[in-house]
Amino acid sequence: MYQIKNFVAATLIALGLAVTPAGYAAGTLSIAASAGDPGSWDPIDTFLVTWGGVGSQIYDGLTMRTADMKLVPGLATSWEMLDNDTRIRFKLRQNVKFHNGEPFYAQAVKFTFDRLLGSEGAKGPQQSNYNAIKEVKVIDPYTVDFILSRPDPVLLTKLAGYGAMLVPPKYVTEKGDEYFNSHPVGTGPFKFVDYKPKVSLTLERNGDYWDGAPKLDGIVYRFIAEPATQVAELQAGRLDIATAIPLSMLDVIAKDPKLTTASINGPTTLALRFNTKEGITKDPSVRRALTMAVDRDTIIKQMLGGNAEAVASFQGKLSFGYDPALKPLPYDPAEAKKLLKAAGIKPGATVQIDFRGTDTNFREVAQAISGYLQAVGVKATLKPYETSVLLNDIIPNGKTGEMWQNQWGGWTFDYDNTAYAMYHSGQKWNPYDKDAALDKMLDAQRDTYDQKARERILREVAKYVADQSLEMPLYSLNTVYGINKRVQNLTLPADGRFRFVSESIQ
Amino acid sequence: MQALFVVLVVTLLVSWAVRLTGDPSLMLAQGAGSVTEQDLANIRAHLGLNRPFSEQYIGFVNGLLHGDFGKSFIGATPVVILIEDALPATLSLTCCALLLSLILSIPLGIQAAVNKGGWSDQLIRIFSLIGLSFPNFWLAIMLVLLFAIVIPVFPPSGLDGPLSIVLPTVTMGIILTATNVRLVRTSMLETLSAQYIMVARSKGLRESVVLYKHALRNCAIPLITFIGLQFGSLIGGIVVVEKVFNWPGMGTLAFDAIAARDYPVLQATVTVLALLIVTVNFLVDIAYGFVDPRVRTR
Repeated sequence: MYQIKNFVAATLIALGLAVTPAGYAAGTLSIAASAGDPGSWDPIDTFLVTWGGVGSQIYDGLTMRTADMKLVPGLATSWEMLDNDTRIRFKLRQNVKFHNGEPFYAQAVKFTFDRLLGSEGAKGPQQSNYNAIKEVKVIDPYTVDFILSRPDPVLLTKLAGYGAMLVPPKYVTEKGDEYFNSHPVGTGPFKFVDYKPKVSLTLERNGDYWDGAPKLDGIVYRFIAEPATQVAELQAGRLDIATAIPLSMLDVIAKDPKLTTASINGPTTLALRFNTKEGITKDPSVRRALTMAVDRDTIIKQMLGGNAEAVASFQGKLSFGYDPALKPLPYDPAEAKKLLKAAGIKPGATVQIDFRGTDTNFREVAQAISGYLQAVGVKATLKPYETSVLLNDIIPNGKTGEMWQNQWGGWTFDYDNTAYAMYHSGQKWNPYDKDAALDKMLDAQRDTYDQKARERILREVAKYVADQSLEMPLYSLNTVYGINKRVQNLTLPADGRFRFVSESIQ
Repeated sequence: MQALFVVLVVTLLVSWAVRLTGDPSLMLAQGAGSVTEQDLANIRAHLGLNRPFSEQYIGFVNGLLHGDFGKSFIGATPVVILIEDALPATLSLTCCALLLSLILSIPLGIQAAVNKGGWSDQLIRIFSLIGLSFPNFWLAIMLVLLFAIVIPVFPPSGLDGPLSIVLPTVTMGIILTATNVRLVRTSMLETLSAQYIMVARSKGLRESVVLYKHALRNCAIPLITFIGLQFGSLIGGIVVVEKVFNWPGMGTLAFDAIAARDYPVLQATVTVLALLIVTVNFLVDIAYGFVDPRVRTR
């Protein structure tokens, strides 16, 4: 009996001590990581958006991007193209130290890229982004040359992200890869403090940061996948920035005097792509008719609360290669009916729309699209799939219905990232088409560093795809944030990779 | 032996079934943009997915026997570390929910049985029916809204101090209580009509002694059996509650592993949960001996 009494007493004391919900120290910002726990903080192991956000605090690349996606010097202060664009020479920033005190110099660049392009990098998904680099040569302690095996006009942008983040050679060699996975060290504005798998990651300010010490004391990333849970945490004042908000809950946040929302252009674009091999969508004029049958502006306004922008190609307006002169096909059901009739499609013809069943926003959009198609005499059935099944099996193995949901968000904001993967022959995300003309254009823009020429070719690609109606371009989705007003000077980067250098907490 | 066989069959089925939904290399590589067969082959080779299924499965069982669950495909964290963190979180939540349900359902069930047909019986039965009708995710959202946002007493999610276990426990506990109250009431009604209860009462024993010592002990066997069975369904249903409350337990681990096709984590999670259920059933058998002396002497 005494034991029971003691247990009850101990429990009550424990509960009493914890009556105040756990808070954070002043100047520590808590932000939700919605894309999951990458499990490793080594730059070469993952592509997850969560890693991108955290990686930007811990590491630096040779180049960096500002919040409006301008490429600026990072750990390289300048660069020049040499030997007919087969060699890039980087001058490195001096007096920079890794968080463990190890000095940054040319050998760290060589070590980072040898590791990325060698057997360690082959285990992960990042290597293929950088395999235009044949070799890194150290010229002097603060100069390195990248020898290229083929042109890669997006390389300088890629050096600002993910796999190309600079790692400390001595630390990685001494501690080993497994230790480095969970105890990352870089040169970035914040240092690693603690990692609880699936729960949180804590960082503290790097007072010696080469670009000026951040104002915040620290950052706590909390892995919260459920958008509704993020909103609850935000309302309870335990989260400063919610990164995934159900659009239907934006009003709830807006009405809370402590909170505010922000909606900015993001990298994610959505399209319904067509099966060009089978079904009524084999015919380009039918595809054109189906695209004209859907009123995308109304969908954006009514279902997405205006948090998106209609697109004419599979890219948003921040994307390199975006052509403001290319306008989306107009909503014209009468013309759509005419085209369908001319193509010999009888009323009652069927199409199947495959989509991610867990995407509640898109489920509503797909239902609306089905209604619009019904209005021009095409009966659409909706087939929800578990996301992994759709991405792993249905799309790459060409098992889709006539239309399928595709959403893409290349962090490079370069149309090449989307267009090459979607339209080039043999690509996993292009299960049906083999078009020599498209292949030629896509290869040509990868073969030159002339950015004007690239932009022209990429615009031609977008126009060609639109003329062939290879997809029904839908919209470029805004990234929506819920923010506690105590966060000051917040800069919202278009790629979601925050770098909290000037932000503070009131 | 039988239990071991069950666990082996479960792991074999899970390992085989999860591989039917496509390999994870394309998902791991999709962020890289354009992906070549060679990139995928490299990733598959690293993950050991290029070996035949039988070899992969035998490797998993062999590791299991040595206490090594392998490494997660996502970030290469040793699976043992993930389980070490997640298992206590799930066990504490499940045990607290069961405990809460027992604390509530035993006195309420007895009260309903003793006052059969009376107002308290009616009231308890109505509340039990309401409890049974609640979907757990809805109840969870309502509790968060009420007790984390409108009246901010408890944290809305996460494992963050002792208070954070309250809302998920109540969510699961209320639904369990609704079932258990009915069970206790029915068993108690049967027991109270038994002759030995009449004997106990005619001996002049206090009503509380009759109810809580003689009657309750005899009701315990069906209740314990039912709790053993409930434990299995609790573990199955915990995924939803853990997701809503962002509770870092086995349910969340399994859910994320399924979504990412993280075979080692999924295999390990299912194996541990299967072992757990088998163990609980074993403990239920032992518990019979404590409450019923006849089982001990057999």
